[in-house]
Amino acid sequence: MKKKALELNLETLSRIASLNIRATKLVEGLLSGHHRSKHTGSSIEFADYKDYSPGDEIKHIDWKMLAKTDKHQIKQFEQSSNLKATILLDASGSMGYESPNLKNNMSKMDYARTLVASLSYLLLKQFDAVGISIFNKTLIRHVPPRSKPSHFKHILHELAVVSPNGITKLEDAIECMVERLPSRGIIILVSDFLTKETGIEKKLKLLVSRGLEVILFHVLDSDEVSFPFKGDVVFESLEDDSSIELDPEDIRETYQRSIQDLIEYYRSHCTKLGIDYKFLQTSTPLEQGLLYYLLQRKNLGKH
Amino acid sequence: MNFNFLSPLYLLGILGIAAPVLIHLMARRQKKYQSFSAIFLLLQSKNRSIKQSKPNKRFLLFIRCLGIILLSLAIASPILSLGDSTNLSNDSSTAIVFILDDSYSMATQTNQNSYYNRAVKLLLGVIHSLSAKSTYSIVLASSPSRVLLSWTANPDKAKNILKSSLPTSRTTDIGNAIKKSLVLLEEVQQINKLIYILTDRDKNGWDETAFSSIKEITSNTFNIVDVSKVPREINKAAIKHTEIQQEFLNSSRVIKVKVITANLSQSKPINDLKVTLWINGKKQTERTLDIPSNSSIEKEFSISLQNNNSINGEARIENDSLLNDNIRFFSYQPDPTIKTLLVDGDPNTIEHQSETFYLERALNPFTSSLSNIQPTVSTLTEFSRHNLFDYSVIILCNINNLPLGYEQELEKFVLRGGAIFISLGNRVDAKFYNEKLGNILPVFLKSVYQVVTNNEPFRLLIKPSKHPVLKIFKKQILEEMKSAEFHSFYSVVARENTKFTTPIVFNNEFPAMIESNIGKGKVVLYASSIDRDWNNFPIQPTFLPWIQRWVKYSARGLDSLTHKDLLVGQPFNWKLFSTNNKAYIVTPEGKIIIPPSVDGEIIFKDTYTPGIYQLFRSTRVSNIKSKPFSPPRLPSNAEPAGAFTVNVDLTESSSIKITDEAINNLMPKANIIFSSDPQKSILESRNEGISLFRYCMMLAGAMLLLEGWLVRKE
Repeated sequence: MKKKALELNLETLSRIASLNIRATKLVEGLLSGHHRSKHTGSSIEFADYKDYSPGDEIKHIDWKMLAKTDKHQIKQFEQSSNLKATILLDASGSMGYESPNLKNNMSKMDYARTLVASLSYLLLKQFDAVGISIFNKTLIRHVPPRSKPSHFKHILHELAVVSPNGITKLEDAIECMVERLPSRGIIILVSDFLTKETGIEKKLKLLVSRGLEVILFHVLDSDEVSFPFKGDVVFESLEDDSSIELDPEDIRETYQRSIQDLIEYYRSHCTKLGIDYKFLQTSTPLEQGLLYYLLQRKNLGKH
Repeated sequence: MNFNFLSPLYLLGILGIAAPVLIHLMARRQKKYQSFSAIFLLLQSKNRSIKQSKPNKRFLLFIRCLGIILLSLAIASPILSLGDSTNLSNDSSTAIVFILDDSYSMATQTNQNSYYNRAVKLLLGVIHSLSAKSTYSIVLASSPSRVLLSWTANPDKAKNILKSSLPTSRTTDIGNAIKKSLVLLEEVQQINKLIYILTDRDKNGWDETAFSSIKEITSNTFNIVDVSKVPREINKAAIKHTEIQQEFLNSSRVIKVKVITANLSQSKPINDLKVTLWINGKKQTERTLDIPSNSSIEKEFSISLQNNNSINGEARIENDSLLNDNIRFFSYQPDPTIKTLLVDGDPNTIEHQSETFYLERALNPFTSSLSNIQPTVSTLTEFSRHNLFDYSVIILCNINNLPLGYEQELEKFVLRGGAIFISLGNRVDAKFYNEKLGNILPVFLKSVYQVVTNNEPFRLLIKPSKHPVLKIFKKQILEEMKSAEFHSFYSVVARENTKFTTPIVFNNEFPAMIESNIGKGKVVLYASSIDRDWNNFPIQPTFLPWIQRWVKYSARGLDSLTHKDLLVGQPFNWKLFSTNNKAYIVTPEGKIIIPPSVDGEIIFKDTYTPGIYQLFRSTRVSNIKSKPFSPPRLPSNAEPAGAFTVNVDLTESSSIKITDEAINNLMPKANIIFSSDPQKSILESRNEGISLFRYCMMLAGAMLLLEGWLVRKE
């Protein structure tokens, strides 16, 4: 048991490490040349040094630094942000789809994980509080929003251990989450939205009505969009649907139209509700998704 | 109702459905399994997809298997029997008479097999398909028809009896064969009775006369199998007739063989047909002929005689699909002398006053070896004692009548090639001649013309002539002939519708000689007397060559007078000189037969093999008794007595077929099935089975088309 736990932990750790590397790399790459918060504030969190100039509070002089460098430096502290972001990650069975021709693409879950990790890292770097909630038919895990940089590891850990399974019940998950959500903040929903539910629009509306800013990341695998399969295939459900045997050639066109309809459905409803919608295919580089977020944040910064 | 297959072995083809089934199963294993996230979308898409019509693979498999099954069924020739079955293969008991046409036209070759062999094969095939309760009999349809095998249920008997059999040289007689079959069927108890006729359906075998007695009564079932319905070469030509004539007029000894060859095709001419003449086993000469369609050509061959031995020969043409009519046999015994009978109508005890005195000496001045004429003198009273056919020429000299019935005998004599020379005189009864001899004389005797005393006598008007008799007489001899004085002769008037020539006339233009051809022979009328009563010609030097040439010109060989060219099946009649004589006949196969004689006459009927039959006669009856069951032998003292030939009747060579309609008219009450394959026709007869071959093929084709269409749509 202990050994198993240890093995699991080792696997988890490696996932965390890889997530960490991917997320950090992505974000750092994006942020080079992009803004950091210029705000320094009075929080207990040290932010930076500044040369002493008359008028600065003497209690903030770093005496150790003086002893070392013989220079008078003032400690600056971070301004605590008011932004609290909660990332909702769909971990239902459908998110576990892995393309048989992965090549250099990531699996959908890894893609989503990396996206969430990257978003979290970005938010934390900007001194925003971020938490994640992982759900399928119900809420599986919840990490409340924190803004400490060390919170990232917790997030990574949760992301690493999550295994997609179960049916998608987005409505229930949102219903459940609503109570825990802060009155202000951002809700980032990362899901494939492959569900037969018809009341998601209402739930999104509910979120919006709570004064929350909602961002939707609609993540699909390339296969789920193009449906490239050939030959006689028995499609087995990753959730609770029964298998279906068919020749993909027969329905490819219709399926592609259906999936586009689905994407368009969410896009249009999100637009109606004032929700920011972003469709991402696993074949699309993740930087694009994050760039979008950054731009969004820039707009927020103007408020 | 019964369902049967003519070729059940082909049903094994149904096992071929294993192929599409295996392919289907193998294709199934190649199915892929794929986890997918949006099954509900797939379902939705499947329901909406236009390509719903893609055929179910199982349905395709079903179509393919069904197509293979239908194809196998079709090739196995399924027959659905309805109603009261007379299917020979089931348990019902059937009595069948097989009428097998073994006439010589059945020897026609097609693809190295004759019609006859094909008929035998089909016959044996049907016999072997009979149920154990059935019986059969075989009747041969060549003339005269006869029962070959009486009722039996053993299929091997037919095989044993027919396995090495051959078609005969006879003609066909289907009518009488059917009569015999009906008689046979009356003897059996079976309910089902059938008559099979395996024939080439040559029209000549279906004589209406033979059917007249059975037309109204027969209501049996007939299955007429046409064995000639196969691709074949045609029977191009046949030797129709041969005729031999001995030339006496020339000093050279020559035999003339006349051969008539017929082109049997209705539309195609024959070019360069080779006709060869064989004498005593050696090829003598060859000619090529061009014969227009549906016509005959006569060709004469001359053979010089080396000796007086008999000539046995044959005329042959090139082989075609029927060989029997490509050869015609002939035989001839050359005559060293011309046997001539002089009938003296005015005999006299004073020899030189007899009517025939000058004639006899002119014909045979010293010995017959010089003139080749052997005269025999007979009075009118003795005339009936002579066999006319022992003579080539009969000279009636100044006769006033004939023995009773001899007008017909003379007519027969002339028709068969004999020559009659009639000289007139004071004893002639013109009324008798005009009333009784009208069958041989082409003219009426009108009246006697006499020269008035002291008037110039009548003389022959002699001109150079091309007549075979007269052409040798040149100037001086012609002048000498003119000097002959005629003071009496008969004037003549032509009978109606007669043909004759006038080789010589008197100087008053009245005919001196009348020549006519009757049948194969000649009749020559000399309008004056043959002695010196009415003219002085007999004492003229030209009389001798003149009368000799007339005799030689009109004579034919004795052999040609005898009725010895027979057709297959015709009896040969032979009158022996003495009841003590024993006759022997050697057949073409070399078999020696001692035919029984009744009152010195033999009627030999076993002339079914074409060829030359040699005749022998022994003058003494042998005292040695032959051993029982040993073949007869020719005694050492047996002398050749001539020969006769038997040839095929060419009516059988005609390839005109009888139509279905004509057959139905011959037997209007009969149930007749026409086919070329008896096995198929057994089950396809009225009230019998229906062949489902076409339906199965159509369905198989439909399955194939459907499968192709579905796959193409895919």
